[in-house]
Parts: sequence; C-alpha cells; structure tokens
Amino acid sequence: HELQKNGSINRSVSISFQKETLESAIRKIKKQTGVLFAYDPESLHLEKLHVPVVSFKDTPLSQVLEKLLTPNKIGYHEVNNTIVLQKMAGQTKEQQRAAQERRVTGQVTDEKGEALTGVTVVLKGTTRGTSTDASGRFTLSIPNGAATLVFSYLGFITQEITSANGEEINIRLQADNQALSEVVVVGYGTQKKIHSTGALSTLEMSTKANQPITDASQALHGVPGLWVNQAGSQPGQDGATIRIRGIGTLNNSDPLVLLDGIEYPISEINPNDIESITVLKDASAAIYGSRAANGVILIKSKMGRVGENNITYSTSFGVQRPTRLPDVLTDPIQYMQMRNQAVLNEGKLIGDYSNEQIEEYRNGMGANPIVYPASDWFDLVLEDGSIQQHNLAFRGGVDKTQYNISLGYMDQKGIFIANDKANRFSLDMKLSTQVTDRLRVGGSVTGNLRQFHEPGYGASTVMSVIMRGLPIFTDTLADGTYGNTWLATPGRNNIENPRMEVQEGTIFRQNQRFLVKLFSEYKLPFDLVYNVDVGYDKHDRFSKDFIPQMYTYNPKTGEERAFNGSAPRVRDWSSNHLNLTLYHTMNWNREFNGKHSFAAMVGSSYVGFDNRSFDAYTEGFFDNQLTDLNAGSTNQVARGQSSKDRLLSYFGRVNYAFRDKYLLEITSRYDGSSRFAPANRWSYFPAISAGWNIHQENFLQNVHQISLLKLRTSWGKMGNQAVPLYSYLSTVNTGSSYQYAFGNTIQPGAAITNYNDPDISWETTTSYNAGLDVLLWQGKFGVTADVFKRRTSGILRPVGIPAQVGNLGGPQKNIGVVDNTGYEVTLTHRNTVGKFSYDVLASVNYVKNEVVDLNGETIISGRRIIKEGYPIDSYYLLQANGYYQNQEEIDYSATVSNAVKPGYIKYRDINRDGKIDGDDRVITGKSMPDYTFSFGINLNYNRFSFNSFFQGVSGISIYPTANLAFPFNNGAGITRDWIGNTWTPETPNARYPLLTTATGGTENFQNSTFWLRDASYLRLQNIQLSYSLPEHLLAKIKIKKLTLFVNGQNLVTWTDFKLWDPEQDIKADNLYDYPMMKTLSTGLNVTF
Amino acid sequence: CNNLLDTEPTDRYTIENFWVSEKGTVGALTACYNSLTKTGTFGGTATVLWEETATPNAYNYDNSAGFNVIALGTHTSATNSAIINARWNDAYGGIGRCNTFIARVGNSPLDDNLKGRMKAEAKFLRALYYNLLATYYGAVPLILDEPDISQANLPRAPREEVVQQILKDLNEAAEVLPTRYTAATDIGRATRGAALALKARVLLFEASPLVNTGGNMEKWAQAAIAAKTVMDLQGAGYALYPDYRALFLLANENSSESIFDVQFKAPQYGTGFDVVLRQYNTVAPLRDLVDAYWMRDGKTKEESPLYNPANPYANRDPRLDQTIVYPGAMFRGATTSTSTYVNTGYTQKKYSIYDRETNNVLPSISEINYMIIRYADVLLMYAEAQNEALGAPDQSVYDALHAVRRRAGLNPWQLPTGLSKSEMRNIIRRERRLELAGEGFYYTDIRRWRTAETVMNGPIYNHAGSPILVRTFNPQRDYWWPITDRQLELNPALEQNPNY
Repeated sequence: HELQKNGSINRSVSISFQKETLESAIRKIKKQTGVLFAYDPESLHLEKLHVPVVSFKDTPLSQVLEKLLTPNKIGYHEVNNTIVLQKMAGQTKEQQRAAQERRVTGQVTDEKGEALTGVTVVLKGTTRGTSTDASGRFTLSIPNGAATLVFSYLGFITQEITSANGEEINIRLQADNQALSEVVVVGYGTQKKIHSTGALSTLEMSTKANQPITDASQALHGVPGLWVNQAGSQPGQDGATIRIRGIGTLNNSDPLVLLDGIEYPISEINPNDIESITVLKDASAAIYGSRAANGVILIKSKMGRVGENNITYSTSFGVQRPTRLPDVLTDPIQYMQMRNQAVLNEGKLIGDYSNEQIEEYRNGMGANPIVYPASDWFDLVLEDGSIQQHNLAFRGGVDKTQYNISLGYMDQKGIFIANDKANRFSLDMKLSTQVTDRLRVGGSVTGNLRQFHEPGYGASTVMSVIMRGLPIFTDTLADGTYGNTWLATPGRNNIENPRMEVQEGTIFRQNQRFLVKLFSEYKLPFDLVYNVDVGYDKHDRFSKDFIPQMYTYNPKTGEERAFNGSAPRVRDWSSNHLNLTLYHTMNWNREFNGKHSFAAMVGSSYVGFDNRSFDAYTEGFFDNQLTDLNAGSTNQVARGQSSKDRLLSYFGRVNYAFRDKYLLEITSRYDGSSRFAPANRWSYFPAISAGWNIHQENFLQNVHQISLLKLRTSWGKMGNQAVPLYSYLSTVNTGSSYQYAFGNTIQPGAAITNYNDPDISWETTTSYNAGLDVLLWQGKFGVTADVFKRRTSGILRPVGIPAQVGNLGGPQKNIGVVDNTGYEVTLTHRNTVGKFSYDVLASVNYVKNEVVDLNGETIISGRRIIKEGYPIDSYYLLQANGYYQNQEEIDYSATVSNAVKPGYIKYRDINRDGKIDGDDRVITGKSMPDYTFSFGINLNYNRFSFNSFFQGVSGISIYPTANLAFPFNNGAGITRDWIGNTWTPETPNARYPLLTTATGGTENFQNSTFWLRDASYLRLQNIQLSYSLPEHLLAKIKIKKLTLFVNGQNLVTWTDFKLWDPEQDIKADNLYDYPMMKTLSTGLNVTF
Repeated sequence: CNNLLDTEPTDRYTIENFWVSEKGTVGALTACYNSLTKTGTFGGTATVLWEETATPNAYNYDNSAGFNVIALGTHTSATNSAIINARWNDAYGGIGRCNTFIARVGNSPLDDNLKGRMKAEAKFLRALYYNLLATYYGAVPLILDEPDISQANLPRAPREEVVQQILKDLNEAAEVLPTRYTAATDIGRATRGAALALKARVLLFEASPLVNTGGNMEKWAQAAIAAKTVMDLQGAGYALYPDYRALFLLANENSSESIFDVQFKAPQYGTGFDVVLRQYNTVAPLRDLVDAYWMRDGKTKEESPLYNPANPYANRDPRLDQTIVYPGAMFRGATTSTSTYVNTGYTQKKYSIYDRETNNVLPSISEINYMIIRYADVLLMYAEAQNEALGAPDQSVYDALHAVRRRAGLNPWQLPTGLSKSEMRNIIRRERRLELAGEGFYYTDIRRWRTAETVMNGPIYNHAGSPILVRTFNPQRDYWWPITDRQLELNPALEQNPNY
C-alpha cells in the first residue's frame, strides 16, 4: 500500500507526443499508465495549451511531466496516487515568505463521512501538531515543500499523507478493524478474536510497564474474573495466589499455567519477557481437561518482529518498607504493669513481676539501658529494603527468521537487617524460521536462576519471634553478645533474641529452572497443518539450612545460656525434577463461498513428571564456622525419594462460523491420570460454545455508534486431579518417626499413618457462561460483561477422621458439590482531547460460593466449617454478645468455663442448653471475597504519562490469632490499642474485654465472632509518572526512545483492619507472614 | 498406553508389598513401641513430669501441655488443654498400630514362636494404650481390628468392657511373654512381669473408690494378688535399686527395679526433661509437697522433734533432697537462692542430670528412660490393696512399706505396729506420694482415691508460704477428662462425659 501511494510520479514510462494539446497529452499518459490527474479545467484550460513533439523511453514520469508542464507554467504534485496540476505563479517577496511557512487545512471523517473530533494531526518527525475541531476540521502551519502529516485517532488506523502544496487535505480514516483481524491465544493455538466464544481476559504486559513486579503473578491484580492475593513480600517468596471465579476448596485451587503452550510455573518467568497473559475463565479452558477446573492461564512471551530490530534496556531502583506493622507497646514499665494487671485479673494472686523488680527497673533505665532496656524490636531488626532490576533485550527479525534474546537481573534486599535477600538471573532465547515453504521450525530456551536467603529459622518463625519480643529483653550486651533478660516471664522459658535469630544462621535456597522448547509446523496438502511441540522442563533445587549454636546472656549477671540444642546443625536438600511435555496437533482451516468458515483440530499430549530429591542432615560441628556436611560428624541422617506422575490426553476442537456472525465451537478431551486407581483413571471433558456478532447483522450496519456487539455463551466440563500422589493407595511409611531403641540400639520401624480412599477420582467442574462484548464509538466506550456458574462436584479435599481409627490422617476424598456463581463487568473509556489523552478502566467481579451438596455431612476443621447452604470453609464461631458485667450475670448465664469473671466476653447460648460449647457456634464470615474490584486511570499529555491503578476486595474475613493479635499470647507483648480500651466496671462497653493474658484468660479468646475481622480493603496499588524524551534529540545519539519514570507501589491502603496488611494468606490466621511492602522506585527504559 | 499411567510408589511400601518380609514385620512391632514416645503417651517434651502440675505436688505457670488449666479446673472440651487432645489421639495411634500388627502378623514369614511372642508384645502395648484411655476418659470406643473407616462412627463402649479387654490382653500376653530377654538387643521389650504389673495397676484402679463405688472388697483382693504375683515372679529378679537418686540417672537405666520403661534415645528421640527441670522451671514443686516429706526419723514434720521451722529442709526424708531443689540447697555447684527458681522457689531434680555438682551441660534432648512401672510402685500397690482388702494391715503390708522406706534412707524405717486400716491407709498414700513424687502418678492416685476434690480445691503456695493462685476441682466433672469437641464433630456417635 505504502509504495503505491506515492510512487506514481517515479514510475518509468515510454511515451511519445505529436503536436497536440496538453489536454490530449495528459489523457494519453492517463490511458497508458493508469495514473489519475486532478486539476481545475476552468483555471488551467489545458485544451488551449500545447506540448512539444517529443518522445521518452523509460523515463521517470516526473521528468516527462516537467518537460510538458513547465513551459506552460503549470506545476504538479502527487497526492494519494493522484497527480494534481496547478498554475505556477510568479512569486512576490511575500509569497516567498509565505512559501517557507504554509498552512494546510482539511477535514477528517470516518469511513461513513462523519466528522471526527480530536484527531491528532502531527507533522511527521516533529512535535508540531494540532487536532481536529468539532466539525472535524484542522489548520496547521508547516514548512513549505513536501511534508508528511500523520493523522492518528484511537480506534482508527493511523494514516500518513504527503502534502506538497497548499491544497486542502480531506481524508477518511479507516476504523481499526483489528477487532476483526486480531487474534487471541487459545488452547493449542490462536483464534480470530471475532470468532472467539469464550470468556477470556487478556492482560497486555505493556500496561504494567515499569512497575516493580518481582513475580509475574503480581501483575494479574485487576484482571477481570481473578482474585489475586499476595501473602507478604518476602524476597524470593512473593508470588501471589490466583483464584479464577471462586474456589472449590481451600487447597489445590491453582490454575494451570502454560508458557507458549507448555506447562511452566508463573513464578519462574521474568515478567519482562511476557508479552501478554490470557486467562481462560469458562469452558474455553476445557480443552485442557483434567487440569482446567481452576482455570487456565496462557502466557505469551515476547518475540521479535521482522523488520524491527531493537535493543531495549530497562532498569529500575526502589526502596521498600512494610505497608503496616503492629503498633506494639515498647514502654517496659507500662508493659510490666499491664502484664501484672492481666494475670491478677485472671485470678492469680501475685503478679508476674514484683513491685521491687518494677521499681528497680524504673530507677535503672536511664543509667543502664543494657540491663533495663526499652526495646522496640521492629525498629531494632527491620530496616528499609531495596530492589533493583535490569533487563536487556535484543529482538527483531530478518527475512523469514525472528529472534529474541533477553536477559534479566533482579536483586532484592529485604527488610530484615541480615539474611534477607534474593536475586534472579533470567534468560529467554528464541529463534523461529521458515525453512521451506511448508516447514517452519523454532525453539526456545527460557530459564532462570533464582536464589534467596532467609534467617536460619525461616522468615515466618523470625516474624513470630519479633512479634514475641518484649520491651524488657536486652538487644545486645556491651560486648556485642546477645542479651536475654534478668526477669522471668511466664511463657518465656528460653528467650528468643530477635536480633540473634535474624543474624545467626541462614537458609539458602537456589532454584535453577530451564524450559527447552522445540516446535515445528508442517503444511500438508488439503490445508492440513501438522504441529509438534516438545517441552523439556528441568528444575533443580538446592537448599542449605544452617543453624549455629547460639547463646544469650543475662544482662545483669552475664550468665551464658545455650539457646538451642542440636546445634550447629546443617541440612542440605536437593531436588531434581524433569517434566516432559509432548503434544502434537493436526489443524485444518477452510472457508467456503466466503460464508462458511471451518476450523478443526485434533491432537494428543503426554505430560510426565519425574521427581527426585534427597536431603542429608548432620550435627557435631566443632564451632559455627563450617557448614558443609563433611565438617559435621554426629546424628547424620540421609533421606531421599522419587516419584513419577503421568498424564495422557486426547483432544479435539471444531469451529464453525457463518459470515462471521454465527459462531459455534465444540471441544472434547479424554484424559488419563496416574494419580487415580486404574478403574477411576480416565475421564471425558466436553465443551460447547456459541457466539453471535450482532453488529454484523444488516439491521445494525447503519448504526455507526456500535462498533462491536457480541453475545457469547458456553458450557463445558473440566477436571481437577490435584491430590497428592498415591492418595488411592494404603501405604506403609518407614523412617525415623517409627523407630525405637531396644538395648540402646535403634531399630527401624514402619507404620501406616494415613487412611486413604481407594475410590477417589476426578473433581469435575461444569462451567456455564454467558457474556456480552460491546464497543461504542469506535472504541471510545467498551463494556464486557459475563455471568457464570461453576458447579464443582466430587471436590477433592483431605478430610479428618476420628482419632479412634488408629489416629490416622484423613483421606483425600471427593466430598461434595460447590457452586460458584457470579458476574464480571469491565468498563473502558478512552478519549483524546488535543495533546491530552486518557483512558479509564474499571472492573468488578462478584462471586457467590455455596456448598450445595455434602451428603448431609458437615466438615469442621478448626475455625472453619463446610456445610450445605454456606460458602465453603466459612468461619464457625461462638457468637460474642458483649461482656459479663458482674458476678450475678455470670451466675445466671451459660459460661464457657468456671473461670469466667466480670468483664469477660459473653457468648450466646445458641442451643440454650445452659453451657457454652461447640454446639453454640454460628456460621459467619468467609475466606474469600464477595467482590474484587479494580480501576485505573491513565493520562497522557504530550510526553508525560501518568498511570494509577487501584484494587481491592470486600466481604472477606480474617481471624488473626497468636502473638500481638491477642495480649500477652504465650509470653508475647501487647499492642498499644489495648491501653485504656479494656473493660472495667466504669467502662462497661470498652472495645476490649477485661485485660487478661491470651494464655491465662482463654475464655476470652475462644474462637468467637469477637475476633473475626473484616479484611476488605482498597489499595492504590500503583501510581506512576513517566516522561519520554523528544525523539529528535535522541536521534542525535542514535536512540529511538528513552523514557524516565517514578513509580509507587502499594503506597496507600484503606481498610478497617489495622493490625497488619489485610492482604494475607487466607489459610493462615497468625500474622507470621513476611510483611507486605510498599515500594518507591525510579528508572528508565531505552530503545536503541 | 494404559501402562504408561501405571506408576508405583518407590519411597514407601504399600499394604500389599509390606508384610512379606521378616524385617518388615519386626519393624511394624517396633512402631507399636514407638507410640510410647508420643506427647500424649509417655514422651513429648515432658508430659509425664508436667502431669505432676495437675496435682498438689507442683505448679506449671505456663500451662505446658495444658496441665495448668486441668489444675485450675477450667479445662474444657474445646481443647484448651493440649494433653486432653493428645492423649486420646496418641493412645489410639498406638492401638491402631497394635491392631494392624495383631491382624497381619499371622501372614508374615516369621517363625511361629516369634510370631506368638511378638503378638503378645503387641497385646501388652494395646492394653497399655487402652489403659491410658480408660484411666483418663473412662468409656471409650473399643476397637480391636485393623483401622478401617467403618470404625469412624463407633460409640463409646462401656468402661467395664474396655477394662475386661485390657485384662484379657494382659493375661494372654503374660502367658506367652518371657520373664527376661536373653538378647541384649531385646532389652526394653515387654516381659511377663510388665504384663502382670500393669494388670496389678489396672486392678488397683478398678478397686479404688472412683470406680469401685460399691466398695467391693473383692476387687482390692484381686489387685493385691496381682501385685503379689509380680513380687513372687520367679526369674524376674525385681528388686529395689539401692540408691534412690541414682535410680533416676542414665547410668542405671533398665535396673533391677525397672519393670517397663520407655527406652528413650538421644539424639534420635528423647524428652526435654533436663531443659524443663533446670531452665523452664515448669514443674515447680509446691510447698505442700515439701511439707509432706517425712522427717529423717520417718515421722511427719508435725510429729517429729527434728523439725526446725527456721530450717525446714534440714533432717528431712533424704528423698526430699534427692527429688527437689530448694532455697539454700547446693545445686549445680552453687547455693540456690529464693529467686533462682522464681515460680515457687523450687525445682525438681529427679529425672534430670543435675545434682549438687557443677554441671553446665544443657542437653536439648534428654534420653533417660522413663519408668512406666517400677518395682517400688508394685510394692506400694500391694501394700495399698492388701491393706484395703483386710480388716487391718497384716505383716505383708508392713514388709512392703518397710522395703520402700528402708531404701529411702529413713531411720528408723519401721512403722509403729498395730496401725489401724485407716491409719495405715494414710501412711501408704503419703508414702506413695513421696516415693513416686515427680514421676507423674499422683494425678491418677488422687482421682482414684476421690481425694482430688479436697486437695485440688484452694490456694497453692510457694516456698515462702505466699499464695500463688486458687485451684478448683469440680467433683461432678473433673474426675474424668472430656472428649474433645474435635472428636465429637468427627464422630457424633460419641457421648460427652458428664458436665462438660
């Protein structure tokens, strides 16, 4: 197209002219070359002008025209393949000046001739530009001579027009029918978007550019239909869990993730190498059968394009700080007084700290802060973290070959003062080439080396130790050794010095993973295309846990206390995984009569997982220096294991489209898994879906406002096999847990420890979906809405059995039926006003989870219950009902034990049997949100762009327990909000009950609604300002593009939950996760 | 293609390929013994020692293993006491392993004699685990078959039925088990004496007022006969170890006094006895126990002229100093002060490696065996049962007591002659408390005597006589432990004990 547009004037012609008029000469050229001419016959009167007798051979048309026109004082220029003739005038001085700067005017319309407002008109290669007014008109001053104008408008194909003279430019922009030609990634291939009938969400990673994303899962916040939950930001351990359209169980609900068609974990992919992420939310996932029940995530990596050879480099640097930490009481005197008050309140007759001790402490504090400290442990052992990332990529394509080489490096330093860092080296190399007309082959090597350190006891243990640190604990003694305390505190028999646990000992984990992929595509006769793909995923892990011998010292007496036994100790652990994926497909596509479009695909796949691991342990080191196994000598233990897991599948898909209006798709999959007994091994997963592109109908052809109107619906069955291996077999375990020493000699033992259900089989999800896609005013407004129902039956889940059955672990069982019903709505709006453009994107998801059938059973585990008619794993708690105000009230009420005192929490006697026990619990609160929502606003002005993204959830509860969630839990401290907010006879409606310790006043800390917290939140997850430097400046230093940015991640969170970040592991109720971080970062992106 | 999907576990046996080897069968029995080392049975950090803290003997300020709430009488079925949960689970864990062994051993390739003996060992262990359940929870589901899901909804069997099965298992075991093992690598296995001694303990409990509510004297006589059978057992060689303190040291494990021990082994598995006793002070003896010790002359401190209130620890029963560390005592090379062990001023030294001498070793894993039944206990069981069975104590009662008191170092150890049954009962009960102090038997003693409601109601005192807190004991409820809510949830057929 481009070549033809302005090439007429340069084409060679062989032509001769007799003595004839100019009019006849032009007609002759037109006839011979087909070139169009435009001129005003009234002003030029060509029929009165003459041409010389002359002949040309292979001469450029421009020379021909000059020969003919110049003597007649007529000029010419070419516009859109049309040669425009104009009178040449003698130029005055003013005209010369005007000639240096000329004005172009014109009007921009759409294909149907309607004026387009706000179209950007820019002189190519400059920043000089304007935009069209309400009637689509524009005026722009440009330098004289030929110049190219660029017309761009959202939703339309950008057009360039070369203007040679002062003529009016009237152009019609073509609607960007990418919507028609755009393809989407689907299972085992791609599909025209207009033919797609599934509920898909696609995230273009470019929209997350420059964000300090350390794990690609974090990028999925805000994708419609997904609930993404990140539990803490521990370096190297900060992947988020992804739940698509609700959950069937709290276990094994992870979606299947495929990288360019091969199963590969999302955490192992450098977010910078990702082009787009497509989420299959409904029956469109059914082509992946047995592992599609939790949804499927298809990740497309970046690849070079022919003709664009780019070198890109991006870097960012950021500082990190926890979003929220508990507000802990650090005044030692107040701490001791409150603790004493608590134990006296709960019935002890003497406080834990004597008045003499408190007095001594008070007097000693100023002079001797080592013996009488006021330690703020969060402050002592946490500091700001940092993060930096570098990515370098070479991408492009030459002729029939495309390539991609990208390298990434990330380095993170966490918030612990020691032993808290992670890094990642990543690599993605791809090559694809058309070997012959029929054969295309390619391959890729994707991999990374990730490693991280955490303190020897592990980050979560250390978090719990920090949250257990008391203000009376000494940090370090004068000689730098670790302090404990001279005071005895119930629950604190062996003082854990948080600084010691952070600094001493280390866990080192190394993950090396490579996916080698080869593919070939061969075109056979009859439009058949055969594909073979092989993925070889090699994953090696190594870890070393080193715990040195640690000592704490009494700050007063200097007495040494060995903190830990069995130390120094080392455990080395290595595992070795080999996952082989092999699939091949045969594809056939054909159109008939331009009306009927068929596509068919059949294939089969094999996935095999081979896992091996061993670990070795030793003690008996002479000191803390060496950490290799050979340097230790006693209590040596070696263990190892291997396992195999296989999946065999046959699948197929048929698509039919009539005039792109009526769409039908049918898929089938037949899967066999080694995870089940032979009789339960195979299962069939069908799906069918249909679509109607209403905007293609004749009755909408003249409704210009509607660019897309599509109805979709789907039904399908999908499976989940995510149970531990050999869950159907009764196995006998051996190992150190069963040994016994006779005659002081260890003898090996063996026992069954788990009851297994031989009949377990697939968990099956039946998915129903109906959706609507609307685009209005060429994409200015967009709506996508889906309603869905997912019925999951035979839910797999470990269930408890009574201990009387040999105290065995319960089996993995198919327990019942759960429905997830809900809707998703996404709204988009984009617009351009002059140099200013903006877009707004908002989405909301609602999921209602309900257990519909459990064979009448009830499954209770801890604080949670599964019961028909309620969301799965709802909280099951006593119902708090104020406080007992006096002894009389206690005497006439049901109580949870005879230790209840005035000021204790009162519980409702639901079954009115006169006592408070498990039968009085009520079902309330749940571990998954009703609503997940997000919205983003992006503004662009000239070279600046501003992006913001908010996300949140509502209707989710958490039940924080343990250290700092409850006062003086097991010897821990207390948060400041308890001060003055506890029950007394004078403050009968205080926020908290009578002050007691969590350990001694257990009646107050029953699992009850009193402690259930609403964990809804709204978070400004990202805010970013970026600036692109002018290209004409960059061109001088051979840079195509350079962008600078500042970015803020998780800067503000709005929530009622004040103790900790509300986004946390929903399965864990204690607050011992590594904190969530907020990050402030800056960096640049450059393209050469 | 189906073959491709056939995979077998390679790191563990399946029920099909396990019972084919001799060593596997032996290993399955070893695992039955391994259940002795669990938190809920006789292992864990210090379960057996902490059990003292649910009695007037000691105090646990930290609610370790949940014994302090039991002492306070505030334990509930909602598992605020870890031991109430763990004992049920771990006892049934051991029972399940024994049941599997008993059901499967017949098909193993072992020699028939060996099979018979090992089956008898498993029956002894099953009886021991069921006795834990019957002693603490009362009636429990009685399961004798290999674990199967069909057992999940069995209700509690009558307690008498459970006890009859325990006695049946013990009788059958006693018939088959050897009196002694000849191979050194068999030390620690159940013996005939162990089965007979456990039988005596079971019968003593059945004769005691808690369950023998009708006061059936015949039951006491049966208990006395059972204990006497152990005392008369030919070839067993049971005798009191001469040195009371040294009996509880590693060097003297499996002594002539030991009848059945848990064979702890460090560093593979053991207990936290030393850490708990020296450092945690979570078994803090109470003034009440210290005051209970005889004076060196075998009289109470109230009766004896040797008692000096200004120096209450002088001239006492030597077992006081051998069991308890008190202010002023030499311990680990230093004089103990009133603030060394802040909780009561006392700590326990019995079952730890510490004594007067300097010793700064702090093993995180202690391996001293715990004696589930020792000969002194059998003598005291006999004395108690025989005294109750008769109108007045006979010489055999005196003899049994004298043996214990003499070894303790009391001088004179002889009791006054002509004691009434009731006088003798008081002496036996006190002797039992002192001889077995710190070993975890007293909680069951005060329950079976139905004295808990007296001795467990009221304040407890530290060394200086200051009250620490007030304990309560509800006789309508607290003689038996509750079935936990968790088990009631999992098996609605289970009935809760009264008043929980």
